[in-house]
Amino acid sequence: MTDLQMTLTNTAGVSSVMSLWVFIVSNFTGSKSRLKERSIKLGNWVMLIGFLCLSAAIITRGIEAERFPLSNLYESLLWFAWATMGGFIYVSRAYGIYQLGWLASLTAIIFFFYGNCLPQSQHDIMPLVPALVSYWRWIHVPPLIVSYAMFFLAGLSGLLNLYQSGRKVTLGIMILTIAMASTAIGLGTFSDKVEVYILQLMFVGSSLVGTVLGFLSLKKVDAAKSAETEAVKRAAMYDDVGYRCVAVGFPLLTFGIITGGLWANHAWGSYWSWDPKESMALVTWLSYAAYIHLRIQRELSAEKLSVVAVLGLLLTLLTYLGFNSLGFGGLHSYGKIK
Amino acid sequence: MKATVDEMETAAEPTEKTLLAPADGKKQRRISPLASVQLSVFLMTLMAATILLGAWCPQEAQVGQEKVFEAFDRPTAEFLVRAGITDIFHSPWFLTITALMTVNMVVVSFQRVFPKLKSYNREMPFFGGKEIGKLACNRKIDLRAGSQTAVLGQLTAALTRLGYKVKFSQGQGLKAEFGRLGRLAPTVTHIGLLSLLTGITITSWTGFNGFRPVLLEESLNFDDAKHASLWIGKMPAWTVKVVSTRRENYPTGEAKQWFSVLSVLDKDGKVLKTQEISVNNPLSYEGVDIYQSSWGLDQLVVSFNGQKRKLGLNSMGQKYAAFLPLDTDTVLIMSLSSEGKELRVFAKRKEWEAPKLLGVVPLGRTLKLGGVDMVFEKVLPVTGLQYKCDPGLPVTYGAFLIIMVGVLLASIPHRHLWCAIESEGESQALFIGGTSRKAKVGFERSLDKLIEDLGPFKEELK
Repeated sequence: MTDLQMTLTNTAGVSSVMSLWVFIVSNFTGSKSRLKERSIKLGNWVMLIGFLCLSAAIITRGIEAERFPLSNLYESLLWFAWATMGGFIYVSRAYGIYQLGWLASLTAIIFFFYGNCLPQSQHDIMPLVPALVSYWRWIHVPPLIVSYAMFFLAGLSGLLNLYQSGRKVTLGIMILTIAMASTAIGLGTFSDKVEVYILQLMFVGSSLVGTVLGFLSLKKVDAAKSAETEAVKRAAMYDDVGYRCVAVGFPLLTFGIITGGLWANHAWGSYWSWDPKESMALVTWLSYAAYIHLRIQRELSAEKLSVVAVLGLLLTLLTYLGFNSLGFGGLHSYGKIK
Repeated sequence: MKATVDEMETAAEPTEKTLLAPADGKKQRRISPLASVQLSVFLMTLMAATILLGAWCPQEAQVGQEKVFEAFDRPTAEFLVRAGITDIFHSPWFLTITALMTVNMVVVSFQRVFPKLKSYNREMPFFGGKEIGKLACNRKIDLRAGSQTAVLGQLTAALTRLGYKVKFSQGQGLKAEFGRLGRLAPTVTHIGLLSLLTGITITSWTGFNGFRPVLLEESLNFDDAKHASLWIGKMPAWTVKVVSTRRENYPTGEAKQWFSVLSVLDKDGKVLKTQEISVNNPLSYEGVDIYQSSWGLDQLVVSFNGQKRKLGLNSMGQKYAAFLPLDTDTVLIMSLSSEGKELRVFAKRKEWEAPKLLGVVPLGRTLKLGGVDMVFEKVLPVTGLQYKCDPGLPVTYGAFLIIMVGVLLASIPHRHLWCAIESEGESQALFIGGTSRKAKVGFERSLDKLIEDLGPFKEELK
């Protein structure tokens, strides 16, 4: 890794941390104060700087490697952080949102940190295995990574919708669920001391229990919060933002799955082989297909859809990082670090 | 003619009920319970849970039953095998869900989705202030006297800029529509899904596939090809000979690419086609595709004082090694890299900590081992060839394309907007409202922006 590339990546990471603090400060200023407006603008600008630095870092890595820079877990994490920042900039331009800003920054920071903690071999530019020497790599992988980032933003919007609609118990349960699932992935990546089955149980069990409890607790409403006109408006806005993120992510996921099938057929003679990762991508696709059907056809309430969006986030996490870190095998083992 | 509010709402975003109701007021067609959206979501959930289970548990069809016993303790593995979880994608449970989903999708397509096409070109009526006031998203603005023409002109220009198609009423009003193409999304997606089912069915009934490791200069035939039990396809009579095969390495010694030159031979041994294949670059002949799937060195041929001996090679990271026991305590170890140009010969005795290097011998040369002349004769590489015949592929690829188009169309929000200017005593009022099922807040914001831009004409905002 060159010094320039490292500097650009670090600048992007520092920008995420700075934008997180600016967005947090903006939450504590008066609802329509000038300071709030300015701090939100500043936060957006810092995020934009980080996004541009990360774009440059990815490009310089590609130039150094003399190939498309998306071939291992570290590189995919850079892409994910890039897509999360870009996705937030896209929706914030459309909606003028701010609370999502600190969650988007926090997500980017966590992924930067996760990438930073990976072994040096992941940071180093390594030669490609024969299966990855194909133009299909840059057609198939980037749409998937961007779709995962958009689904993350949709899930985060779901959390904000739950907060603004006064579903604080549900919000707490869903945050705890995400924390449990993320911990399982962190332990699975960096620790050999915990049995893989315990981690799998921790992820899947907490997701299942958390989602069911989340649905059941939707009836518990903070009356004061749900009566605030501004809060109701914001809740509706986050519902809309979540849908917009899914509306962008779903075609990208579909494109990623289909091009993956085309690549597999081109390379191995079978466009579908029930490989764990492709199966999991199908599960994620089905969950968002259900989300869209529930929204359009059943006109499910925004709060229920928010819980579905958080479940989607968990499934996305499992598809993207879970399968390599929680001991699942398959053809997509390039992301493994052990 | 003024429409009722119910008619307005259905006109803006036609619901299933009104879409399926004949326009002449005949009794609404009955929808089968199999076309229920709840059933669709329920089946999607069951399917997702089943696939998740299949992704978690090693599948016999992909990795063999031994991997199941490697992954779990014996009682658990036996339970998983008995329960059918280790081959879940061929289990009656999964096939039943797939069949139910197929039936659900076909019935939904023909009873709910395709009939909506009839209303695609249906013109929405013009609405008056009263009807607009009852829409989910609506605003009322008092206008300055005499500004109605300018207001409608500005709104038309702004809506056209935003991509709406605008039409004027005879009186003082307009209607505008955005993203009508988006309404085709369910129809296109469902056509794609039904085409996908058709492609898969054709493949299942007529296609075959298989894998065979083939030694250099040996041939691949299709005798052990796998196909469905209900099969009406035909196996090729020709065979494929491996003319040469090699591995290309990075400077670090890791594999960069595997290559094999293959010749298609007819029954009489006549060459019909020759092509070099590599990973991601298959050979295609008469609808059968042959892929480079794996590569290795399989056998080592050496001779001892003129007596030839074939030894099996084992992959040891970046090297290959053959083991020849000389007596109960001594083993001769021969190792070589993937290039296979140089053989390193070691001896290992029980009491030695590490093997001792006896010598290095290039291909075709002799190494003296005491009174024995050992000749490094040749190395036989093996190329892993995957093959498949998939006559349903063009239909499947077409389906992929249609699904992609459908999913892209689904991201277009379909919006309707109405304006009416009506006199209220001496003043005039602008009623503006509309519907958007997919992105309501975004729609409301665009509506507010339109109104904000009408500032110079506004009398007072109520």
